[in-house]
Amino acid sequence: MAIEQKYQDLINADIDGEISAADRTELEAFLADSAEGRALRDDLSSLCRALDSADEETPPVQMRHVIMNSIPGSRATESSPGFFQVLFAAPALRYALSFAAGVFLALSIVNSGQVSEHAFDDVTGLVGTVAEPVDTTLASSVSVDELDVAGIVSLRSAGTLLILDFDLVAKDHIEIEADYADPSIWFNGFAQLQGEGTTVSAESGRVRLGVAGKRRYAVYLHNQGGREATVRLRFLANGQVVHETSLEYRPGQ
Amino acid sequence: MSRTDDTKLIERCRAGDREAFEALLAAYERPVFNAAYRMLNSRDDAQDVTQTVFLKVFENFDKYDPSRRFFSWIYRITLNESINWLGKTNRLRPLETEAADEGKGPDEQFDSDQARQSVQAALMTISSDYRAVVVLKHFLGCSYTEISQVLEISEKKVKSRLYSARQQLKGALAKTR
Repeated sequence: MAIEQKYQDLINADIDGEISAADRTELEAFLADSAEGRALRDDLSSLCRALDSADEETPPVQMRHVIMNSIPGSRATESSPGFFQVLFAAPALRYALSFAAGVFLALSIVNSGQVSEHAFDDVTGLVGTVAEPVDTTLASSVSVDELDVAGIVSLRSAGTLLILDFDLVAKDHIEIEADYADPSIWFNGFAQLQGEGTTVSAESGRVRLGVAGKRRYAVYLHNQGGREATVRLRFLANGQVVHETSLEYRPGQ
Repeated sequence: MSRTDDTKLIERCRAGDREAFEALLAAYERPVFNAAYRMLNSRDDAQDVTQTVFLKVFENFDKYDPSRRFFSWIYRITLNESINWLGKTNRLRPLETEAADEGKGPDEQFDSDQARQSVQAALMTISSDYRAVVVLKHFLGCSYTEISQVLEISEKKVKSRLYSARQQLKGALAKTR
């Protein structure tokens, strides 16, 4: 037999702590005589406990900085989110599109005199492959939470490609040095997803970036042979190191 | 945050005080992000929506009606932005992989992750209108009256939507077991 709507409402109100004393007395009398009512109350109580016990999500550490930097009148004003959000909605696509953009940025921004011909040959060679989404694997990730800079840096792999994914907000101009001692790794491209004005230069074993404000960008490294690799990162503000960390890539991880 | 605190901060925000805006952000970024996450099932999307919400709040302080509670305004924007986002992207994502919680053994971790993923997966099976009521009730801790203020619907309708949403969630969770 179906439970009267009135008692269904009272059961829900009781579970939600929104029942009056008089209604509770009435509900208790009903439940004492109704096994179906008790079963419904137990089912709903169990469901609500599961919902109420779900862990709260912690917002990304850099989000507050990002928002403060995106409101009008900020030092680093961003355009209203929307276009990029939709365009780059699928994570795999983010890398594919950003890589395509990166090839052009790399060719126009990077001081080519500092980059080996071999590296640029590979960047050009990869232009044809970026129409398809790049399926990346997260190798390692670190959070940065300093007064001068905050955010997340991740190292991803896709075949012989290593992608340093920087999602950062810098209070003022900062420099980032990414060192990779292995000579079989070389700079392979640069992409900027959010904002503009990041500068990049590369030399053997090192990429140097200059950023300010909210920035999302990727540095592409070619990892000849797909060997394990360590990328050491140094964040400098006014020439002083404010944060040091490293990211590891282990093949087959 | 009390109503008086919110009102004072909003007055300062209207006068262009960035510190006041940062204080509002500090107070509301977590519930806004959590509401968006529960609506969208993606941390990346929740972050984007949260940014959009606070940008809209900043740009529309003049349109804020001080007779309403601030939380009901910002939660309404959050839910509307999340629903718009779902409409734009029109997709349901698989649950994101997350780092293991510290301090839990492998079995306990597995059970906890499974329960959490089941709840979130079940949430994504119900309509966004129903999900909004569940998010407000169970993840933001709003009362029936507060939910009716946020969604601008009667309390009777809040109860009815919540009850229907729970029935559907029960069914969805039963299928995953």
